[in-house]
Amino acid sequence: MQPEDSHLSDQQLLLDIENELATHDEKVAHAHLGTCWKCRTRRQELETAIADFVHSRQQEFDSKIPPAAGPRALLKARLAELAEGEANGRLSWHGLDRRFAWALVATICGLLAIISYAGRPNSSARPAPIVSIPDSRLTPGAALLLSRQTVCAQANTKNKAVPVSLQRKVFEEYGIAGEPRAYEVDYLITPALGGADDIHNLWPHSYSATVWNAQVKDALEDRLREMVCDGSLDLTEAQRAIASNWIAAYKKYFHTDEPLLTHRQQRIQ
Amino acid sequence: MSSPDSTALPILRAALAEGAGNSGEGLQQEVVALFDELREPLLRYLVSFGLALPDGEEVLQEVFLALFQHLQRGKSRENLRGWLFRVAHNLALKWRYRSRRDWEARAEPGVGELAIEPGPNPEDQVVRSQTQRRLQAVVRALPENDRQCLFLRAEGLRYREIAGILDMSLAAVSLSLARSLRRIARSAER
Repeated sequence: MQPEDSHLSDQQLLLDIENELATHDEKVAHAHLGTCWKCRTRRQELETAIADFVHSRQQEFDSKIPPAAGPRALLKARLAELAEGEANGRLSWHGLDRRFAWALVATICGLLAIISYAGRPNSSARPAPIVSIPDSRLTPGAALLLSRQTVCAQANTKNKAVPVSLQRKVFEEYGIAGEPRAYEVDYLITPALGGADDIHNLWPHSYSATVWNAQVKDALEDRLREMVCDGSLDLTEAQRAIASNWIAAYKKYFHTDEPLLTHRQQRIQ
Repeated sequence: MSSPDSTALPILRAALAEGAGNSGEGLQQEVVALFDELREPLLRYLVSFGLALPDGEEVLQEVFLALFQHLQRGKSRENLRGWLFRVAHNLALKWRYRSRRDWEARAEPGVGELAIEPGPNPEDQVVRSQTQRRLQAVVRALPENDRQCLFLRAEGLRYREIAGILDMSLAAVSLSLARSLRRIARSAER
Protein backbone atom coordinates (compact mmCIF):
# COMPACT_ATOMS: atom_id res chain seq x y z
CA MET A 1 0.00 0.00 0.00
CA GLN A 2 1.03 3.63 -0.40
CA PRO A 3 2.91 5.71 2.16
CA GLU A 4 0.63 7.08 4.85
CA ASP A 5 0.75 10.66 3.63
CA SER A 6 -0.54 9.84 0.12
CA HIS A 7 -4.23 9.44 -0.70
CA LEU A 8 -6.03 6.17 -1.27
CA SER A 9 -6.86 5.27 -4.86
CA ASP A 10 -10.46 4.62 -5.95
CA GLN A 11 -9.57 0.97 -6.23
CA GLN A 12 -8.32 0.84 -2.65
CA LEU A 13 -11.34 2.74 -1.40
CA LEU A 14 -13.64 0.36 -3.23
CA LEU A 15 -11.84 -2.70 -1.90
CA ASP A 16 -12.26 -1.24 1.57
CA ILE A 17 -15.98 -0.63 1.01
CA GLU A 18 -16.33 -4.18 -0.28
CA ASN A 19 -14.41 -5.68 2.63
CA GLU A 20 -11.97 -7.21 0.16
CA LEU A 21 -8.75 -5.67 1.50
CA ALA A 22 -6.15 -7.87 3.13
CA THR A 23 -5.98 -7.36 6.90
CA HIS A 24 -2.77 -5.35 6.83
CA ASP A 25 -3.94 -3.11 3.97
CA GLU A 26 -7.26 -2.60 5.72
CA LYS A 27 -5.51 -1.31 8.85
CA VAL A 28 -3.41 1.10 6.81
CA ALA A 29 -6.46 2.29 4.87
CA HIS A 30 -8.48 2.87 8.02
CA ALA A 31 -5.62 4.72 9.65
CA HIS A 32 -5.47 7.01 6.63
CA LEU A 33 -9.23 7.46 6.41
CA GLY A 34 -9.29 8.42 10.06
CA THR A 35 -7.28 11.51 9.28
CA CYS A 36 -8.11 12.35 5.65
CA TRP A 37 -11.34 14.18 4.88
CA LYS A 38 -10.65 14.08 1.18
CA CYS A 39 -10.47 10.28 1.05
CA ARG A 40 -13.50 9.94 3.31
CA THR A 41 -15.46 12.16 0.96
CA ARG A 42 -14.31 10.17 -2.04
CA ARG A 43 -15.27 6.95 -0.30
CA GLN A 44 -18.73 8.40 0.27
CA GLU A 45 -18.99 9.37 -3.41
CA LEU A 46 -18.20 5.81 -4.45
CA GLU A 47 -20.79 4.46 -2.04
CA THR A 48 -23.32 6.87 -3.49
CA ALA A 49 -22.44 5.66 -6.99
CA ILE A 50 -23.09 2.08 -5.87
CA ALA A 51 -26.39 3.09 -4.29
CA ASP A 52 -27.44 4.95 -7.46
CA PHE A 53 -26.63 1.96 -9.61
CA VAL A 54 -28.41 -0.53 -7.37
CA HIS A 55 -31.45 1.73 -7.08
CA SER A 56 -31.59 2.14 -10.83
CA ARG A 57 -31.44 -1.61 -11.40
CA GLN A 58 -34.18 -2.20 -8.91
CA GLN A 59 -36.38 0.31 -10.66
CA GLU A 60 -35.54 -1.17 -14.00
CA PHE A 61 -36.42 -4.74 -13.20
CA ASP A 62 -38.58 -5.07 -10.15
CA SER A 63 -41.82 -4.29 -11.90
CA LYS A 64 -40.90 -6.19 -15.05
CA ILE A 65 -39.89 -9.64 -13.95
CA PRO A 66 -42.97 -11.82 -14.34
CA PRO A 67 -44.13 -14.05 -11.48
CA ALA A 68 -42.15 -17.23 -11.00
CA ALA A 69 -45.11 -19.62 -10.93
CA GLY A 70 -45.23 -20.33 -14.67
CA PRO A 71 -41.49 -20.83 -15.27
CA ARG A 72 -41.28 -22.82 -12.04
CA ALA A 73 -44.01 -25.23 -13.15
CA LEU A 74 -42.34 -25.59 -16.54
CA LEU A 75 -39.00 -26.38 -14.92
CA LYS A 76 -40.60 -29.00 -12.65
CA ALA A 77 -42.18 -30.70 -15.64
CA ARG A 78 -38.93 -30.65 -17.60
CA LEU A 79 -36.97 -31.99 -14.64
CA ALA A 80 -39.42 -34.85 -14.19
CA GLU A 81 -39.20 -35.62 -17.90
CA LEU A 82 -35.40 -35.50 -17.82
CA ALA A 83 -35.18 -37.72 -14.74
CA GLU A 84 -37.55 -40.24 -16.28
CA GLY A 85 -35.71 -40.23 -19.60
CA GLU A 86 -32.34 -40.78 -17.91
CA ALA A 87 -33.74 -43.56 -15.72
CA ASN A 88 -35.13 -45.38 -18.76
CA GLY A 89 -32.11 -44.84 -20.92
CA ARG A 90 -29.46 -45.83 -18.38
CA LEU A 91 -28.33 -49.40 -17.84
CA SER A 92 -29.59 -49.93 -14.32
CA TRP A 93 -27.52 -51.92 -11.89
CA HIS A 94 -30.62 -52.81 -9.93
CA GLY A 95 -32.36 -53.96 -13.05
CA LEU A 96 -29.68 -56.52 -13.85
CA ASP A 97 -29.77 -60.06 -12.66
CA ARG A 98 -27.41 -59.93 -9.67
CA ARG A 99 -25.54 -63.12 -10.53
CA PHE A 100 -24.99 -61.92 -14.06
CA ALA A 101 -23.81 -58.55 -12.80
CA TRP A 102 -21.27 -60.00 -10.39
CA ALA A 103 -20.04 -62.38 -13.08
CA LEU A 104 -19.57 -59.41 -15.37
CA VAL A 105 -17.61 -57.50 -12.73
CA ALA A 106 -15.47 -60.54 -11.94
CA THR A 107 -14.67 -61.03 -15.62
CA ILE A 108 -13.68 -57.38 -16.06
CA CYS A 109 -11.51 -57.47 -12.92
CA GLY A 110 -9.85 -60.67 -14.11
CA LEU A 111 -9.08 -59.16 -17.50
CA LEU A 112 -7.70 -56.01 -15.90
CA ALA A 113 -5.50 -58.08 -13.58
CA ILE A 114 -4.09 -60.07 -16.53
CA ILE A 115 -3.43 -56.90 -18.53
CA SER A 116 -1.86 -55.21 -15.53
CA TYR A 117 0.38 -58.22 -14.74
CA ALA A 118 1.46 -58.58 -18.35
CA GLY A 119 2.34 -54.89 -18.61
CA ARG A 120 4.03 -54.62 -15.23
CA PRO A 121 7.66 -53.58 -15.31
CA ASN A 122 10.22 -55.82 -13.64
CA SER A 123 10.55 -53.81 -10.46
CA SER A 124 13.58 -55.62 -9.11
CA ALA A 125 15.55 -54.80 -12.22
CA ARG A 126 14.68 -51.11 -12.29
CA PRO A 127 15.71 -48.36 -9.90
CA ALA A 128 12.83 -46.62 -8.13
CA PRO A 129 11.71 -43.68 -10.30
CA ILE A 130 12.16 -40.24 -8.79
CA VAL A 131 8.82 -38.57 -8.17
CA SER A 132 8.95 -34.85 -7.41
CA ILE A 133 5.50 -33.93 -8.61
CA PRO A 134 2.33 -35.98 -8.33
CA ASP A 135 0.33 -37.35 -11.22
CA SER A 136 -2.65 -35.01 -11.38
CA ARG A 137 -4.89 -37.83 -12.61
CA LEU A 138 -4.17 -39.88 -9.51
CA THR A 139 -3.63 -37.03 -7.06
CA PRO A 140 -5.68 -33.97 -8.00
CA GLY A 141 -5.73 -32.85 -4.35
CA ALA A 142 -8.68 -32.97 -1.99
CA ALA A 143 -9.64 -30.50 0.70
CA LEU A 144 -12.13 -30.40 3.50
CA LEU A 145 -14.66 -27.59 3.60
CA LEU A 146 -12.98 -25.52 6.28
CA SER A 147 -13.01 -21.80 6.76
CA ARG A 148 -9.84 -19.76 7.02
CA GLN A 149 -10.59 -19.15 10.69
CA THR A 150 -10.83 -22.87 11.40
CA VAL A 151 -7.64 -23.65 9.51
CA CYS A 152 -5.72 -20.88 11.22
CA ALA A 153 -7.06 -21.73 14.67
CA GLN A 154 -5.47 -25.18 14.42
CA ALA A 155 -1.83 -25.56 15.41
CA ASN A 156 0.54 -25.96 12.48
CA THR A 157 1.85 -29.32 13.61
CA LYS A 158 3.67 -31.95 11.61
CA ASN A 159 1.42 -33.96 9.30
CA LYS A 160 0.11 -37.09 10.91
CA ALA A 161 1.36 -40.38 9.56
CA VAL A 162 -0.58 -41.91 6.69
CA PRO A 163 -1.93 -45.39 7.62
CA VAL A 164 0.09 -48.19 6.10
CA SER A 165 -2.92 -49.62 4.26
CA LEU A 166 -3.51 -46.26 2.57
CA GLN A 167 0.20 -45.95 1.77
CA ARG A 168 0.02 -49.35 0.09
CA LYS A 169 -2.89 -48.18 -2.05
CA VAL A 170 -0.96 -45.08 -3.09
CA PHE A 171 2.02 -47.19 -4.13
CA GLU A 172 -0.29 -49.51 -6.05
CA GLU A 173 -1.88 -46.58 -7.89
CA TYR A 174 1.51 -45.19 -8.82
CA GLY A 175 2.74 -48.64 -9.88
CA ILE A 176 5.52 -48.62 -7.27
CA ALA A 177 6.21 -52.20 -6.31
CA GLY A 178 9.95 -52.40 -5.81
CA GLU A 179 11.16 -49.92 -3.23
CA PRO A 180 8.40 -48.23 -1.30
CA ARG A 181 11.02 -47.20 1.27
CA ALA A 182 12.41 -44.80 -1.31
CA TYR A 183 9.28 -42.66 -0.93
CA GLU A 184 7.42 -40.70 1.64
CA VAL A 185 3.66 -40.81 1.13
CA ASP A 186 2.92 -37.12 1.37
CA TYR A 187 -0.20 -34.97 1.41
CA LEU A 188 -0.50 -32.82 -1.69
CA ILE A 189 -2.61 -30.23 0.13
CA THR A 190 -1.25 -30.32 3.64
CA PRO A 191 -3.84 -30.80 6.43
CA ALA A 192 -2.49 -27.51 7.81
CA LEU A 193 -4.19 -25.91 4.78
CA GLY A 194 -7.34 -28.02 5.02
CA GLY A 195 -6.07 -31.01 3.00
CA ALA A 196 -8.04 -34.21 3.38
CA ASP A 197 -7.02 -37.74 4.44
CA ASP A 198 -8.01 -39.04 1.06
CA ILE A 199 -6.17 -41.07 -1.53
CA HIS A 200 -6.74 -38.30 -4.06
CA ASN A 201 -4.65 -36.07 -1.84
CA LEU A 202 -1.75 -38.47 -1.31
CA TRP A 203 1.28 -39.17 -3.47
CA PRO A 204 4.68 -40.82 -3.17
CA HIS A 205 7.37 -38.14 -2.86
CA SER A 206 10.86 -39.53 -3.57
CA TYR A 207 13.35 -39.27 -0.76
CA SER A 208 16.01 -39.20 -3.47
CA ALA A 209 14.70 -35.97 -4.98
CA THR A 210 17.58 -33.62 -4.28
CA VAL A 211 16.23 -30.28 -5.50
CA TRP A 212 12.45 -30.26 -5.19
CA ASN A 213 12.34 -32.41 -2.09
CA ALA A 214 9.87 -32.78 0.75
CA GLN A 215 11.57 -30.10 2.85
CA VAL A 216 11.19 -27.57 0.08
CA LYS A 217 7.51 -28.46 -0.11
CA ASP A 218 7.22 -28.11 3.68
CA ALA A 219 8.65 -24.61 3.39
CA LEU A 220 6.04 -23.76 0.76
CA GLU A 221 3.27 -25.14 2.97
CA ASP A 222 4.45 -22.98 5.87
CA ARG A 223 4.63 -19.93 3.64
CA LEU A 224 1.14 -20.45 2.21
CA ARG A 225 -0.35 -21.04 5.63
CA GLU A 226 1.31 -17.88 6.90
CA MET A 227 -0.13 -15.89 4.00
CA VAL A 228 -3.60 -17.42 4.42
CA CYS A 229 -3.62 -16.65 8.13
CA ASP A 230 -2.41 -13.07 7.75
CA GLY A 231 -5.12 -12.52 5.15
CA SER A 232 -2.86 -11.88 2.18
CA LEU A 233 -3.90 -15.07 0.38
CA ASP A 234 -7.25 -16.75 0.03
CA LEU A 235 -7.43 -20.29 1.43
CA THR A 236 -8.98 -21.72 -1.74
CA GLU A 237 -6.32 -20.04 -3.84
CA ALA A 238 -3.58 -21.52 -1.64
CA GLN A 239 -5.12 -25.00 -1.96
CA ARG A 240 -5.47 -24.62 -5.68
CA ALA A 241 -1.90 -23.35 -6.12
CA ILE A 242 -0.35 -26.24 -4.24
CA ALA A 243 -2.64 -28.82 -5.85
CA SER A 244 -2.13 -27.71 -9.43
CA ASN A 245 1.69 -27.55 -9.31
CA TRP A 246 3.47 -27.15 -6.01
CA ILE A 247 6.80 -26.38 -7.65
CA ALA A 248 5.27 -23.55 -9.68
CA ALA A 249 3.59 -22.32 -6.49
CA TYR A 250 6.94 -22.35 -4.67
CA LYS A 251 8.53 -20.31 -7.45
CA LYS A 252 5.65 -17.86 -7.38
CA TYR A 253 5.41 -17.34 -3.65
CA PHE A 254 9.14 -17.31 -2.96
CA HIS A 255 9.92 -15.32 -6.13
CA THR A 256 12.67 -17.70 -7.20
CA ASP A 257 13.27 -20.33 -9.85
CA GLU A 258 15.30 -22.58 -7.55
CA PRO A 259 14.61 -23.68 -3.99
CA LEU A 260 16.22 -21.36 -1.47
CA LEU A 261 19.38 -22.80 0.01
CA THR A 262 17.99 -22.75 3.54
CA HIS A 263 15.04 -24.88 2.50
CA ARG A 264 17.21 -27.39 0.64
CA GLN A 265 19.74 -27.56 3.44
CA GLN A 266 17.13 -28.60 5.95
CA ARG A 267 17.09 -31.95 4.16
CA ILE A 268 20.85 -32.43 4.38
CA GLN A 269 20.96 -31.68 8.10
CA MET B 1 -13.45 -20.24 -20.49
CA SER B 2 -12.95 -23.50 -18.70
CA SER B 3 -15.78 -25.83 -17.87
CA PRO B 4 -17.44 -25.36 -14.49
CA ASP B 5 -15.63 -28.23 -12.84
CA SER B 6 -12.25 -27.99 -14.42
CA THR B 7 -10.75 -25.83 -11.70
CA ALA B 8 -12.73 -27.02 -8.72
CA LEU B 9 -10.95 -29.16 -6.20
CA PRO B 10 -12.78 -32.29 -5.23
CA ILE B 11 -14.26 -31.26 -1.92
CA LEU B 12 -15.20 -33.96 0.51
CA ARG B 13 -18.61 -33.34 1.97
CA ALA B 14 -20.24 -35.75 4.27
CA ALA B 15 -23.45 -33.87 3.65
CA LEU B 16 -23.32 -34.83 0.02
CA ALA B 17 -23.31 -38.50 0.86
CA GLU B 18 -25.93 -38.24 3.55
CA GLY B 19 -28.06 -35.33 2.42
CA ALA B 20 -29.85 -34.84 -0.83
CA GLY B 21 -27.73 -37.48 -2.54
CA ASN B 22 -28.52 -37.83 -6.21
CA SER B 23 -31.86 -39.50 -6.05
CA GLY B 24 -34.18 -38.14 -8.73
CA GLU B 25 -36.93 -36.64 -6.64
CA GLY B 26 -34.73 -35.12 -3.95
CA LEU B 27 -32.54 -33.55 -6.59
CA GLN B 28 -35.51 -32.14 -8.45
CA GLN B 29 -36.71 -30.46 -5.27
CA GLU B 30 -33.26 -29.11 -4.60
CA VAL B 31 -32.97 -27.67 -8.10
CA VAL B 32 -36.41 -26.07 -7.87
CA ALA B 33 -35.48 -24.54 -4.50
CA LEU B 34 -32.36 -23.02 -6.07
CA PHE B 35 -34.47 -21.80 -8.97
CA ASP B 36 -36.79 -20.01 -6.54
CA GLU B 37 -33.83 -18.42 -4.82
CA LEU B 38 -31.77 -17.37 -7.82
CA ARG B 39 -34.17 -16.92 -10.71
CA GLU B 40 -34.44 -13.15 -10.43
CA PRO B 41 -30.71 -12.34 -10.12
CA LEU B 42 -29.88 -14.75 -12.92
CA LEU B 43 -32.61 -13.34 -15.11
CA ARG B 44 -31.37 -9.81 -14.54
CA TYR B 45 -27.88 -10.95 -15.47
CA LEU B 46 -29.11 -12.67 -18.64
CA VAL B 47 -31.05 -9.59 -19.68
CA SER B 48 -27.82 -7.60 -19.37
CA PHE B 49 -26.59 -9.57 -22.40
CA GLY B 50 -29.44 -8.14 -24.43
CA LEU B 51 -31.79 -11.08 -24.08
CA ALA B 52 -35.47 -10.22 -23.96
CA LEU B 53 -37.15 -11.50 -20.82
CA PRO B 54 -38.87 -14.48 -22.51
CA ASP B 55 -35.51 -15.52 -24.04
CA GLY B 56 -33.89 -15.07 -20.65
CA GLU B 57 -36.51 -17.36 -19.10
CA GLU B 58 -35.81 -19.99 -21.74
CA VAL B 59 -32.04 -19.81 -21.18
CA LEU B 60 -32.69 -20.03 -17.45
CA GLN B 61 -34.54 -23.29 -17.92
CA GLU B 62 -31.50 -24.68 -19.73
CA VAL B 63 -29.26 -23.49 -16.90
CA PHE B 64 -31.27 -25.33 -14.25
CA LEU B 65 -31.62 -28.48 -16.35
CA ALA B 66 -27.83 -28.42 -16.66
CA LEU B 67 -27.62 -28.04 -12.88
CA PHE B 68 -29.82 -31.09 -12.41
CA GLN B 69 -27.56 -33.18 -14.64
CA HIS B 70 -24.47 -31.78 -12.91
CA LEU B 71 -25.77 -32.85 -9.50
CA GLN B 72 -27.13 -36.13 -10.78
CA ARG B 73 -23.64 -37.08 -11.91
CA GLY B 74 -22.40 -36.44 -8.40
CA LYS B 75 -20.22 -33.50 -9.43
CA SER B 76 -18.95 -30.79 -7.12
CA ARG B 77 -21.45 -28.85 -5.05
CA GLU B 78 -18.93 -26.21 -4.20
CA ASN B 79 -20.32 -22.72 -4.77
CA LEU B 80 -23.39 -23.65 -6.82
CA ARG B 81 -24.39 -20.01 -7.11
CA GLY B 82 -21.10 -19.21 -8.87
CA TRP B 83 -21.55 -22.31 -11.02
CA LEU B 84 -25.04 -21.19 -12.06
CA PHE B 85 -23.87 -17.71 -12.99
CA ARG B 86 -21.01 -19.16 -14.99
CA VAL B 87 -23.29 -21.51 -16.92
CA ALA B 88 -25.79 -18.67 -17.46
CA HIS B 89 -22.96 -16.49 -18.73
CA ASN B 90 -21.78 -19.15 -21.18
CA LEU B 91 -25.29 -19.92 -22.43
CA ALA B 92 -26.05 -16.24 -22.86
CA LEU B 93 -22.93 -15.84 -24.98
CA LYS B 94 -23.96 -18.86 -27.02
CA TRP B 95 -27.46 -17.51 -27.37
CA ARG B 96 -26.11 -14.18 -28.58
CA TYR B 97 -23.82 -15.87 -31.05
CA ARG B 98 -26.69 -17.98 -32.38
CA SER B 99 -29.15 -15.15 -32.63
CA ARG B 100 -26.59 -12.83 -34.27
CA ARG B 101 -28.50 -9.85 -33.09
CA ASP B 102 -26.97 -6.53 -32.51
CA TRP B 103 -27.85 -6.55 -28.86
CA GLU B 104 -26.44 -3.13 -28.10
CA ALA B 105 -28.81 -1.56 -30.59
CA ARG B 106 -31.88 -3.26 -29.22
CA ALA B 107 -34.97 -1.15 -29.06
CA GLU B 108 -36.60 -3.40 -26.52
CA PRO B 109 -36.06 -2.37 -22.92
CA GLY B 110 -33.00 -4.10 -21.56
CA VAL B 111 -29.88 -2.88 -19.87
CA GLY B 112 -29.78 0.40 -21.60
CA GLU B 113 -33.44 1.27 -21.74
CA LEU B 114 -34.54 1.84 -18.22
CA ALA B 115 -38.19 1.85 -17.34
CA ILE B 116 -38.95 4.84 -15.18
CA GLU B 117 -41.43 4.28 -12.43
CA PRO B 118 -43.71 7.28 -11.93
CA GLY B 119 -42.62 9.42 -8.98
CA PRO B 120 -44.90 10.89 -6.36
CA ASN B 121 -45.07 14.21 -8.20
CA PRO B 122 -44.06 15.54 -11.62
CA GLU B 123 -40.91 17.28 -10.30
CA ASP B 124 -39.63 14.13 -8.60
CA GLN B 125 -40.45 12.18 -11.68
CA VAL B 126 -38.37 14.49 -13.85
CA VAL B 127 -35.38 14.36 -11.50
CA ARG B 128 -35.58 10.59 -11.21
CA SER B 129 -35.98 10.22 -14.90
CA GLN B 130 -32.90 12.38 -15.54
CA THR B 131 -30.83 10.39 -13.04
CA GLN B 132 -31.95 7.15 -14.64
CA ARG B 133 -31.12 8.34 -18.12
CA ARG B 134 -27.72 9.59 -17.01
CA LEU B 135 -26.94 6.26 -15.41
CA GLN B 136 -28.32 4.44 -18.40
CA ALA B 137 -25.96 6.30 -20.70
CA VAL B 138 -22.94 5.72 -18.46
CA VAL B 139 -23.59 2.00 -18.08
CA ARG B 140 -24.28 1.57 -21.76
CA ALA B 141 -20.97 3.24 -22.60
CA LEU B 142 -18.96 0.87 -20.40
CA PRO B 143 -16.89 -1.84 -22.07
CA GLU B 144 -18.80 -5.10 -22.00
CA ASN B 145 -16.48 -6.78 -19.53
CA ASP B 146 -16.77 -3.87 -17.10
CA ARG B 147 -20.54 -3.94 -17.45
CA GLN B 148 -20.67 -7.65 -16.70
CA CYS B 149 -18.43 -7.22 -13.67
CA LEU B 150 -20.73 -4.50 -12.40
CA PHE B 151 -23.88 -6.54 -12.96
CA LEU B 152 -22.42 -9.61 -11.28
CA ARG B 153 -21.32 -7.54 -8.30
CA ALA B 154 -24.78 -5.97 -8.14
CA GLU B 155 -26.18 -9.49 -7.86
CA GLY B 156 -24.08 -10.05 -4.78
CA LEU B 157 -21.22 -12.10 -6.18
CA ARG B 158 -17.87 -11.70 -4.50
CA TYR B 159 -14.76 -10.67 -6.40
CA ARG B 160 -13.41 -14.22 -6.48
CA GLU B 161 -16.65 -15.56 -7.95
CA ILE B 162 -16.74 -12.83 -10.59
CA ALA B 163 -13.13 -13.60 -11.48
CA GLY B 164 -14.10 -17.25 -11.97
CA ILE B 165 -17.14 -16.50 -14.09
CA LEU B 166 -15.47 -13.96 -16.35
CA ASP B 167 -12.11 -15.73 -16.39
CA MET B 168 -10.28 -12.68 -15.06
CA SER B 169 -7.80 -12.11 -12.27
CA LEU B 170 -8.96 -10.69 -8.94
CA ALA B 171 -6.99 -7.53 -9.59
CA ALA B 172 -8.69 -7.09 -12.96
CA VAL B 173 -12.12 -7.41 -11.32
CA SER B 174 -11.22 -4.84 -8.73
CA LEU B 175 -9.84 -2.44 -11.35
CA SER B 176 -12.87 -2.91 -13.56
CA LEU B 177 -15.34 -2.14 -10.76
CA ALA B 178 -13.37 0.89 -9.62
CA ARG B 179 -13.29 2.16 -13.21
CA SER B 180 -17.05 1.73 -13.68
CA LEU B 181 -17.98 3.33 -10.37
CA ARG B 182 -15.63 6.22 -11.02
CA ARG B 183 -17.54 6.87 -14.23
CA ILE B 184 -20.89 6.63 -12.49
CA ALA B 185 -19.69 8.93 -9.70
CA ARG B 186 -18.26 11.39 -12.22
CA SER B 187 -21.53 11.54 -14.10
CA ALA B 188 -23.32 12.42 -10.85
CA GLU B 189 -20.98 15.37 -10.33
CA ARG B 190 -22.03 16.94 -13.60
